Amino acid sequence: MPRPETRMVTLSIDGREVTAPENVMLVDGAKYGDVEIPVFCYEPKLGAPVGACRMCLVEIEGIPKLQTACSTPVKDGMVVHTQTARVHAAQEAIVEFLLINHPLDCPVCDKGGECPLQDISFGWGGGRSRFIEPKRHFQKPLALSPLIAIDRERCILCYRCVRFSQEIAEDYQLVLQERAAHTFVATFDGHPYVAPFSGNIIELCPVGALTSQPYRFRARPWDIEGSGSVCTLCPAQCNVNFTVRDERVLRVLARDHAEVDDGWLCDKGRFAYQAVHVDERITRPMIRDGGELRPVSWERALEHAASALGRAQARVGAIAGGETTNEEGFLLQRLVREVLLSNDVDSRAGGSLSLDLHRALGAPAAQATVSDLEFADAVLVLDCEPVDDAPILDLRIRKGVRRRRVELAVATSRPSSLDPNARLRVRFAPGCAEAFLLALEAAIGTAAGEPRREEVARLAQAAGADAGAVHALADLLTTSGDDVVVLWGERVTGGERGEYAGRALLNVAGRLGLRDRDGAGLLCVPAGTNGRGLAEAGVLPNAGPGLSEVEEAGRDAAGIAAAVAAGDLVALYLLHTDPLRDLPNRGAWEAALDRASLVVAHAAFLTEGIRAHADVVFPAESYAEKEGTVTHPDGRLQRLRPAIGHQGETRAEWQVLAELARRLGRDLGVHTGPMATDQLVAAVPFYAGITLDELGGKGLRWPAREAASAFPAPATAGPFELEPPAPAPAPNGRLRLGTFRSIWAAPEVEVSPALKFLHPRQRAELSPADAQRLKLFPGDRVTVGSDGHSVSAIVALRDGAPEGTVFLETAIPEDSASLLEGPLVEVRKA
Amino acid sequence: MTQLILFKDIDEPGLATLEVYQRRGGYEGMRKALGMSRDQLIAELEASGLRGRGGAGFSMGKKASFIPKGTMDKYLVCNADESEPGTFKDRELMQKCPHMLIEGMIIAAYAVGANRAFIYIRGEYELQAQILERALEEARGQGYIGEDILGSGHSMTLWLHRGAGAYICGEETALLDSLEGKRGNPRLKPPFPANQGLFQGPTLINNVETLATVPHIIRMGGEEYAKLGTPGSTGTKLVSVSGNVRNPGNFEIELGTPAREIIYGLAGGPHEGREVKFWFPGGSSSPVLLPKDLDLPYDFDSMAKAGSMLGSGAIIVIDDANSVVDVALKTAKFYRHESCGKCTPCREGTNWTVRMLERIDSGEATPMDLDIMASVQEQIIGNCLCVLGDAMAMPVGSMIAKFREEFEAHIEAARERNDALTTAVAPPEALIQGAVA
Ligand SMILES: Cc1cc2nc3c(=O)[nH]c(=O)nc-3n(C[C@H](O)[C@H](O)[C@H](O)COP(=O)(O)O)c2cc1C
Ligand code: SF4
Ligand code: SF4
Ligand code: FES
Repeated sequence: MPRPETRMVTLSIDGREVTAPENVMLVDGAKYGDVEIPVFCYEPKLGAPVGACRMCLVEIEGIPKLQTACSTPVKDGMVVHTQTARVHAAQEAIVEFLLINHPLDCPVCDKGGECPLQDISFGWGGGRSRFIEPKRHFQKPLALSPLIAIDRERCILCYRCVRFSQEIAEDYQLVLQERAAHTFVATFDGHPYVAPFSGNIIELCPVGALTSQPYRFRARPWDIEGSGSVCTLCPAQCNVNFTVRDERVLRVLARDHAEVDDGWLCDKGRFAYQAVHVDERITRPMIRDGGELRPVSWERALEHAASALGRAQARVGAIAGGETTNEEGFLLQRLVREVLLSNDVDSRAGGSLSLDLHRALGAPAAQATVSDLEFADAVLVLDCEPVDDAPILDLRIRKGVRRRRVELAVATSRPSSLDPNARLRVRFAPGCAEAFLLALEAAIGTAAGEPRREEVARLAQAAGADAGAVHALADLLTTSGDDVVVLWGERVTGGERGEYAGRALLNVAGRLGLRDRDGAGLLCVPAGTNGRGLAEAGVLPNAGPGLSEVEEAGRDAAGIAAAVAAGDLVALYLLHTDPLRDLPNRGAWEAALDRASLVVAHAAFLTEGIRAHADVVFPAESYAEKEGTVTHPDGRLQRLRPAIGHQGETRAEWQVLAELARRLGRDLGVHTGPMATDQLVAAVPFYAGITLDELGGKGLRWPAREAASAFPAPATAGPFELEPPAPAPAPNGRLRLGTFRSIWAAPEVEVSPALKFLHPRQRAELSPADAQRLKLFPGDRVTVGSDGHSVSAIVALRDGAPEGTVFLETAIPEDSASLLEGPLVEVRKA
Repeated sequence: MTQLILFKDIDEPGLATLEVYQRRGGYEGMRKALGMSRDQLIAELEASGLRGRGGAGFSMGKKASFIPKGTMDKYLVCNADESEPGTFKDRELMQKCPHMLIEGMIIAAYAVGANRAFIYIRGEYELQAQILERALEEARGQGYIGEDILGSGHSMTLWLHRGAGAYICGEETALLDSLEGKRGNPRLKPPFPANQGLFQGPTLINNVETLATVPHIIRMGGEEYAKLGTPGSTGTKLVSVSGNVRNPGNFEIELGTPAREIIYGLAGGPHEGREVKFWFPGGSSSPVLLPKDLDLPYDFDSMAKAGSMLGSGAIIVIDDANSVVDVALKTAKFYRHESCGKCTPCREGTNWTVRMLERIDSGEATPMDLDIMASVQEQIIGNCLCVLGDAMAMPVGSMIAKFREEFEAHIEAARERNDALTTAVAPPEALIQGAVA
């Protein structure tokens, strides 16, 4: 779908000639002439204006009544007055009306000092009130949720919060109850407003009616400073503004980036900042001493690590977690490859892919952007759950469907929260993306007239999918228009057959003509925040910086675990990761950690694997302290800037990595953070010339720069000849195991006081039919087991879950599904 | 004598049945219309000069001509919410002659190419809803509603939807939201329903009486119809007369008939020994007029020129036994209760006005409060999202302007009464001191 083009029009506002883009609303158009028109209910992010508050009334020549500037598009030749006596009278009237029931408790209101109602009353009000009747009273403040307090006396009924819930998040929880002057905001059923994006209403509220419970009474606007950075809690990498007072992060606000987050944040991003300052955080180096981790000086920790690593030489395996920055990843692979002379370094949880496949999937020509999701003709959500994996993309997809009628298809194993918005839903067995994609490719062929119906039937069956649905999907993707975006989860290419699934995906992309098309393409949701950046920085066993060839490929994560367990490797270097928490196949990692003679970890929290197995722990920086860059899944390099100084004795990771190298006899030549960035940029040809200044506040997409032509071309981007995979295992009374990682599965959530109540406990998601067959009810406790391992879980029913499948969570502290091997499990009532 | 059109056979026994209705010439207009082209039909409607009978008085033909051509889903909605105090004409029409409305809707739907039609009827009209349901069944049975109506190639469904008791749902866009299953709040216009109405589709929405007039226009021909009434206000109009008159009820009059003839002639005038003090010419939301205005012709333009409006054609007569303060307070309370609360001036202004009127009524006000109240009405008028706010501010504002002295006298009298009461019940000074000691 082509983006709307902007034509400029010229109009007159208060006698001044103003040139503004056609079709923008007058309030926005006026800004082009430096004219401010006050608004309360207008917020373009929320969609079409509603005209509720009436604050923006202006006079337009030729129209007898005053008009709301928030809903009147600018037109050529329009003559507008915002300063006439009539307009002033109307504006003063609205301010007077709004204030008659407002408590005027500004001195004890969190919004005071950054409150549009204060500002507009001051700027446009009459400065008097003639209202002497008793004001409206409500009980206040009430907990709208554990995160949000509501003060209904302050509410000016601007509808913003309700519109957000109804039309942006589409959680449909907030409504206006009652009518007229009795109207108030509430959830429709009186339950707390708990939803993944609820916190956005705090920022939307133009008064102090909705305030953040954790921020309440913590600071006043004149005590604080704002500091822009990027949230690294998931791959969506939303732009944020930290509110800082006395070196403490007190709040996180959105930093509106139309190409990244559209100005929204999820509640994890908004509230997990609390983890920066909790007691649980590791802020001093530690060494295991007599079986216990004990704080030591940096000198001792560094010396201990350096000498032990030196002894291990070449028999070290290193893993970088998803939150590792590009610079940290780059320096880690230098340390491992150049100093420790090992090839065993990885950043992917799901197993390694061929270098060629990395190049083909990551090629600029195949790359779709975040905003493409909104303007595409069709979007296919493939084997990922945006609201869990990269929450803010969930909102972007909803926006596209709602406002631009994007045709949405969801092809996943687990039901998606986007199912109700999708034109089409296709389910396949967990781990069977390969067979599904082969079936889809064949169905696209069928749609083009090739006689491949039987093949589709066979492959769909192997995938555990419905062949009719696969055909319908092929039709949708080939008839909706040329701009198709496939948002695919990294789990597609996970596991033993990942390489083949990746090729099958490229075959589908080729069929749909997604390469070299602006507005179309592939967009990967990596498992880790900076999955893309780490691959490009060379943190792969078979690729150096810039996806360059390496002389000798090393072991991938699973290979490292096996080699350590077997004694072929003796030391593990863990940068921002706890394998027991983050990686699949817990059994293998337990064996590896038990056997390793040295485990060095950079960690912020003593999660199980670190607590029980690390020998040296370096306190890791929080994202609010970090400098460096991360790379968004669509190729946008974004800059992290420290909002606060290092907490406790924490040091920058780049510094620790460089120091270890030095102690091991090698100067990496990095003495400041920016020097690490310079080295990275120099080493990755397609980043060539990028500077931190150029990244600025908005970052930039390298695939859109000229240097992108230096991206290493794959030997082939397909089509590939592919064999049909083994069919999905038949359950035979057992259930297929699917796994997922909840948005709330993060140590930051567990330790943040405000978010604790959300931290997930294992639950077994089942289709109602399976539950009935197994005589299980929601809330029942069950054990789910395979091969002698089992986890305990609570039954949850999920409409749209495929029969014969159970979904369990990973990345949680207890009963994580990573204990189970699958592919089949048994579910029994506990 | 007015030529009766809508009410010609209104008291004919059994008129609510298809049989009697058809015997009386019913559905002739529909048969004729189905033989005409859509453009011809709209031309007839425009020629008739028919203005909407629901309140705003907008040309029905012109509104129909705004509905875009094309194959998208289009809708026809009949506004049968009739909730304006004093208005009860649609009720009688639907109760006694439901097929006339149905016939009008079939023609209107055909004229604009709408395949889905709804009647949104006020929840309290339970009897009328039952009668309409029965009539709809009959019409469906005859194939007047359904696929390929009488071989015309036009198909339509027609459903009755009952409201849940909110005046605001008579406002056309709130009605549409309510019909869509949402909270009944007015929408911002534009887009107008003709472009984006029900479920985002082009929608023609008209009052019961407007639609019921359509078969007659087609039967008579638009030009013939336009000969009735005055040039700006053609045809006949149902007028609901209520208040202090001897013979309240619905009357069909030719537009332009002097108001006096309606109030005194048809409705019998005020009771023995009473005089008209003031009157609402177009429902409780119209600015009040005085006895001196009684000789004005009752039509859209004359009422507008007199500073009021014909509205839904509901005349409420207030005689000299009533206090204007009382009428103002009752009026304001109704609109405060019915404000949807979406826009600021209406939500806050109606509430504030009631509070002030209550103080005025109970003698806790000063003449300054009258000034404030008058200015609050001005702050409401023209500044709201829909015109419900104006619907309170206009009549209340007109009462303050026209009866200011009575308001002042009322304040004074009530205050004196309060003073007297306080003195009477207040215990003597000595007693209070005694109690303290
Ligand atoms: C607050 C409010 C209430 C209304 N109530 C009604 C009503 O009950 N019946 C009606 O026909 N029109 C009502 N209207 C007018 C409608 O909005 C609309 O103008 C009318 O249905 C159009 O039909 P017409 O052109 O045939 O008159 C109301 C308008 C407002 C602002
Ligand atoms: S709570 Fe805030 S955002 Fe919601 S309606 Fe009230 S003022 Fe608006
Ligand atoms: S004028 Fe009253 S009824 Fe109309 S939108 Fe505003 S608040 Fe609602
Ligand atoms: S900002 Fe225009 S009506 Fe609220």
